[in-house]
Amino acid sequence: MSETVPGKLIHFRRDRLVEWTVYSVAFLVCATFVWIAGDLVRGGIAHLSWDFLVDSPRDAGRAGGIGSVLVSTVLILAVALMVALPLGWATAALLAEYVPADSSFGLAVRYSIQVLAGVPSIVFGLFGNAFFSIYLGMGFSILSGGLTLACMLLPILISTADAGLRAVPDAYRLSAAALGISRTATLLHLLLPAAAPALAAGLLLGVGRAIAETAALLFTSGYVDRMPDSLLDSGRTLAVHIFDLSMNVSGGDVPAHASALVLIIALLLINVVAMRLAAGWQRRKMVSE
Amino acid sequence: MPGGEAKSVKILSATHYVMFATALLLGSGWSPSGHGASQKLVLTGASTIAPLAGELARRFESLHPATRIDVQTGGSARGINDVRNGVADIGMVSRALKPEERGLHAHAIALDGVGIILHGSNPIAALRRQQIIDIYTGKIVNWKDVGGQDARITVVNKAEGRSTLELFLSYLKLKNSDIRPHVIIGDNVQGIKTVAGNTNAIGYVSIGTAEYETGHGTPIKLLPLDSITASVASVRNGTFPLSRPLNLVTRGMPKGLVRDFIKFARSEQVHDLVKAQYFVPISVR
Repeated sequence: MSETVPGKLIHFRRDRLVEWTVYSVAFLVCATFVWIAGDLVRGGIAHLSWDFLVDSPRDAGRAGGIGSVLVSTVLILAVALMVALPLGWATAALLAEYVPADSSFGLAVRYSIQVLAGVPSIVFGLFGNAFFSIYLGMGFSILSGGLTLACMLLPILISTADAGLRAVPDAYRLSAAALGISRTATLLHLLLPAAAPALAAGLLLGVGRAIAETAALLFTSGYVDRMPDSLLDSGRTLAVHIFDLSMNVSGGDVPAHASALVLIIALLLINVVAMRLAAGWQRRKMVSE
Repeated sequence: MPGGEAKSVKILSATHYVMFATALLLGSGWSPSGHGASQKLVLTGASTIAPLAGELARRFESLHPATRIDVQTGGSARGINDVRNGVADIGMVSRALKPEERGLHAHAIALDGVGIILHGSNPIAALRRQQIIDIYTGKIVNWKDVGGQDARITVVNKAEGRSTLELFLSYLKLKNSDIRPHVIIGDNVQGIKTVAGNTNAIGYVSIGTAEYETGHGTPIKLLPLDSITASVASVRNGTFPLSRPLNLVTRGMPKGLVRDFIKFARSEQVHDLVKAQYFVPISVR
């Protein structure tokens, strides 16, 4: 049959086939997300309530809520971001603006970041346990967990910010130089805002990785589900709580589903807020065309 | 471009950042000896005991407001290690101590058993000890060889360092290197989920956990061992062959807060907590 049809029709059919494949693959990806989210909603929505969000876990997490767990999660995330953001973005600025791309120092820093990015999280956990918890004497604490997470976030933050800064057209730098604006002012008021969407994307990737982390935290911030009094107390993050409920506590499935639902909603909210902030920062700093 | 104005805002926000960071650290009592004021105990070890220990800790804290009991998990081997090098005050070990661990002091707080579990739809009602050995060493690979359906057996084993594994091995007189596992699991509920999700799987878990799950409709069943029903009841009356003490372990004779907590964990006022986690309370004379 195909010999009789003109070549044009074959092309047409091939186009249709490719188009159909691309659509169905995209549909599959969406369907996976909908399936996971649907599963969580079905399993957890009935358990979700205001009390669940503010109460502390009881009976090994089967009863009660996740209030203390949420507080620990926020504290660990705050420690990690407060340490990792300045370090990461400063390193990225150095790599993108101050060091030539092919200098041996720049290459060495980039190479070590790539290696760091490929290290499995359990290795960060063991390192954090040995260095922060035992050597520096922080014990199982929110501080040592947050610092371990900060080490893990650095490669993501640096490489995304580096790429974002490099993507800013050189015309910006030249114009700024021609206007006599100092290098620091150019970086702070022009290049960083111009790269804001990339910075926000990196921040989101980092937050996503940090909030989903269990292996690096089990041995550093620990397993205690009580409300933390200080950064030197052990605190259980939401991901560790979900892991323990579903793997170690019989009858913990329903609260685990509800906790996972909270985690996903929190991630979505963080996504929206970070994107808004980045867009707003860019608009305030730069004249839109 | 509003350079100067924006610059001052920038500096202000950087100052704010440092102030916020310092305030957070100070406000949360950052100092090397920050937790000296209240007494603190750290427990690490067996994941089987961790949920119970967490509940014990909560009740102990409510009775002694100036104390903090932190419970960490990770397996019995970690409990032993952490007590030895002083990271933890008390280790949780879900088996009797081995001869080479004689330097440590064990204090049993409850009893538990280890039971063989199959999927609920598996027609096998009982396995002899030799059949279990043959399945776990890979000599029997199909259920029809032990009277079941024609289907390959999925052998679920525990990870190294778990006392459930050590107990199971010593009961069957096997070494871990003899076992031919298809799936290696960590915690008890993970084992139950693995078996409940695979009609041809065989595994072994804490009886307390398994009994809770069967009572809540999970499709698994506990096999009798040496024709003794695997249940919390048979662990309690001491007839079940594969039972174990759940121990709190200390480096020396317990003193002070450690002694108080262990005494509390072994007292009658926590029997309801032990039972709530499907373990058998121990009556201490």
